[in-house]
Amino acid sequence: MATLTRQDLNFGQVVADILCEFLEVAIHLILYVREIYPSGIFQKRKKYNVPVQMSCHPELNQYIQDTLHCVKPLIQKNEAEKVVMVIMDKEHHPVERFVFEISQPPLLSISSETLLSHVEQLLRAMILKISVCDAVLDNNPPGCTFTLLVHTREAATRNMEKVQVIKDFPWIVADEQEVHMEEAKLIPLKTMTSDILKMQLYVEERTQKN
Amino acid sequence: MDYLYLDNIDEFVNDQNKIVTYKWLSLTLGVHVNTAKQMLYHYLQQKRNEGSGTPLHATYLVSGKCVENGSKCHKVSVVREDKLNAVKAKMDVTISVHVYSVQRAELKDSSPLYNTDYDAVKENIKNCNKYSTIRCAAAVPMSSAEVQRAQEMALVPPAGKEISKTGLNENTSATPKPSAKQPAGIMGMFASKNASKSQESSKEVKTEQKDDSSLVETSKSKTASKANPMSNLFGKSAQKKADEKPNKSVKEETAASSTAPAIMEQSQTSPKSKIDIKDEQSKVSSALKVESKDTRNKTKRPEVVDSDDEKMESQQKKRRRIKKPQPDSSDDEVVPDSPPVPNVQTPSPKKQVKREPVSHQEVSITNNTLTEKGYVSESYSESEEEPEPNSQAKDSSSLKQSFGKREEEKKEKREKKTSTANKPTKQPSIMGFFQKK
Repeated sequence: MATLTRQDLNFGQVVADILCEFLEVAIHLILYVREIYPSGIFQKRKKYNVPVQMSCHPELNQYIQDTLHCVKPLIQKNEAEKVVMVIMDKEHHPVERFVFEISQPPLLSISSETLLSHVEQLLRAMILKISVCDAVLDNNPPGCTFTLLVHTREAATRNMEKVQVIKDFPWIVADEQEVHMEEAKLIPLKTMTSDILKMQLYVEERTQKN
Repeated sequence: MDYLYLDNIDEFVNDQNKIVTYKWLSLTLGVHVNTAKQMLYHYLQQKRNEGSGTPLHATYLVSGKCVENGSKCHKVSVVREDKLNAVKAKMDVTISVHVYSVQRAELKDSSPLYNTDYDAVKENIKNCNKYSTIRCAAAVPMSSAEVQRAQEMALVPPAGKEISKTGLNENTSATPKPSAKQPAGIMGMFASKNASKSQESSKEVKTEQKDDSSLVETSKSKTASKANPMSNLFGKSAQKKADEKPNKSVKEETAASSTAPAIMEQSQTSPKSKIDIKDEQSKVSSALKVESKDTRNKTKRPEVVDSDDEKMESQQKKRRRIKKPQPDSSDDEVVPDSPPVPNVQTPSPKKQVKREPVSHQEVSITNNTLTEKGYVSESYSESEEEPEPNSQAKDSSSLKQSFGKREEEKKEKREKKTSTANKPTKQPSIMGFFQKK
């Protein structure tokens, strides 16, 4: 129907919104499935017409929302390459990294009416895959924490450092030890391709977790 | 030749790491549901006998009669394998047990089961009961004229309801405490913390509650929620709970004996009256009364409608009825299974949802009254800006039956939590937060 280009910022915002909502749900779900936090803080809610587990802890939710709020402008401009959720053990060595690789086609065309319901279906499939990921992953040691990293293309972060999108929520360059993991196994989880968005989810897992 | 399906299932389960439910299998392979159940059972047996390789987990659907709180009821549950014997022991008569799903992962909750079936059913929406034994000759799609009529009728009652609703709201907003008590455990802490804030946001909540059965945030609440997400989130949920209580009590009375399937992890159950489930639950519980007398013209609510789904077909499904109880698992379908045979009923035919807010209405007929749920969807499929503030995993009616016991879940988790809290904690901030309970 309509063909919109990358310059159409409104559409870029739509994609960013969809993606950030998805990432929020996915992050909560990973926290639930990998048992980073006790399951009691999670509550069943509905997203994409299926039940998902979301946390109710206000500070945790706020942290995730603030992070994604800062990531959103990067996605709008297609500067975010990867969003990574790193799970670290007590010594702050990463044990697992859930990597969401994102790319957007340069020419976005909304060619069908069912585009968004198709996207919804794909996102539903990703949610499902996250739910069963513990079949392919080893158990984490107790006392894990998580952090979110964003890999950007080129030098987009320089702008981020100058402009604090959210007050008192600064972004810093990640430590090398958080970014790289030794002895990593790569486990692909799901890939999705659609007209507006391409995303790949895989897990890097440390071979020796304990 | 006859055993090729074993390889198929093996591929689904082991190579693709899928959850294979019997319904999904029947739709995928094009076989009758009972055949699918047998296939899964056979596959499980074979794999277990081999004793090789990756561990498999299974869930079972158990249905039987039991006495709860003095009243007899027919209970249908989806249970994990490790709880199976416990649940069976609790029942007076076990009517049917069959394999529900097979997967590699050990599921912590039941959401993926629903998710698995959702798309398969949605694709076959017009003939999703092709392979099942539940039939009703009277269940035919409504003609467009009938749909129009239903739509008009649906517009009339909500106007009357709105007035009574605001009146109800006045009462509840003045006393948020009782409603805050409803969510037990952790949720109670969050809700009571925001009870004072709910006063301010009650206005926004009121406008939303115009539609008492809306499941999804409306655009009004959306803007409100943007302004004050946290308080609105919990303030609204507290309001909704208070609102649902009168609904629920009415519906409870109408059901003499109710099916009260447990959620997967729980073998003990308590009657549905204790459940503090959001919105649809109350309608759903009445919708799923297997033994209720007025089953003829009831239809199940549509569950699998996308927010911007343009298809406006509608179907009426007969309520499931208990047939002759049989001890075997290979009998015909007497009980509702969790992922629904959905009735997609959307009244306005061919209303295109373009890039503008459109009110998307679903009409459902329960208890011989028409209730309308509406929600406003914006130009994209997600109809809310934030993840659902209300825990409205309504989805399929039977699904909610199976694992809608949120309050119990919470209670159980709270017990678990307090027990772990006694150990030296690794995350003191989190545990300290919860230990206030």
